[in-house]
Amino acid sequence: MRGLVGVLLALVATAVTGVLVLNIVGQSGVAQPWDSELNDDFIFVRALPLVLGLGVAYGLIGGWVWTRSTARRADGAVRRFSGATVLLHMLITVGFVLALPTGLWQYMGGILDVQGPLPVFMYYRIHYIGAAIILASVAAFITYWWMTGDRSLLLPLGEWRRYLRGFALELPPMLRARLASLLRIDLGQPAGSSGAFTFYEKTFMFPGWSVAIALITVTGLVKLLRYAVPIPGTIVFVVSTLHVTAMVMLILLTLDHLRYYLSRWPLVVAIFTGWLPPRRTQPRSAPEGASAASGGGD
Amino acid sequence: MKRLAALLALAWCVVNLVVAYWMVTGAFLAKTAQHEGIVAQASLLLGGLLVAVFTGLLARLSLRILAAPDEATGA
Repeated sequence: MRGLVGVLLALVATAVTGVLVLNIVGQSGVAQPWDSELNDDFIFVRALPLVLGLGVAYGLIGGWVWTRSTARRADGAVRRFSGATVLLHMLITVGFVLALPTGLWQYMGGILDVQGPLPVFMYYRIHYIGAAIILASVAAFITYWWMTGDRSLLLPLGEWRRYLRGFALELPPMLRARLASLLRIDLGQPAGSSGAFTFYEKTFMFPGWSVAIALITVTGLVKLLRYAVPIPGTIVFVVSTLHVTAMVMLILLTLDHLRYYLSRWPLVVAIFTGWLPPRRTQPRSAPEGASAASGGGD
Repeated sequence: MKRLAALLALAWCVVNLVVAYWMVTGAFLAKTAQHEGIVAQASLLLGGLLVAVFTGLLARLSLRILAAPDEATGA
């Protein structure tokens, strides 16, 4: 019952936001003399509070519907993700599928001096739609984690050394030795348990995605606002460079994300169903005790 | 399902190889040197090479999954 009410609330919130955004689109189409590209920029800036508000609403609904539930099913499957995380992961994926290729084309098209099949403003428009979806998803994730109090993807304070050791132990031998030598990690010591997620996820993947998404969001917002607020050219140049850097980081993280999870199929199943299948609840190269023992991810 | 996922990943690899090629060749264009400078050239080159390496790792895994799905995916 709660799930159905949650879905209805989410649909209503989406519809209300859609109507308000369409209202902004309608106003700008009549009142502004700018070209399509700049027009879209202003529409996106004005729609941002609505987009973030929608994300917060999704997070609140998610936190209300999916309270912490049983970590282990009768058939032995272990809960890794809640329904909210599964849905928000899908949503943010759609955002990336729209924003990443269009952003890449905006940059590479300029470098290569090539005109793509679509008019330039269309790339920006799709990019803004994708960015809006990503922003809404990020706002939703943060609200959801705040509401449920889930911190299972975060490194516990003061345990950096142990987590770096666990991370090194999950790497291929050649990389492991180099990292251990570089960071002076004693690989002879046991790493212990990493909790519901692997050391690789908690030490590299989640921090990497967080930094890249934060960087691309902040720099993207500054790039957007430069038409509304005077920003010195040097800052715009630095910010644009960092935006492209974040884009390359996201391309690399996406490739690594796919490589890591495709080689651990139960984790692919988990991100679509929320449950690690019973036959093999211990993902490959997960540390001793991870997942199966701890259960209850986000 | 695993083979379908591997095929999609391979398609993603093809796209990323094109991206890597664009980035590496873009690093050596006269226009990049004139307009963007050496830092952008170095970034494009490094970024392109990294994308190529990461793409290679994913492509290798995808091909392994196509050949032996259960063995390559740990399930």
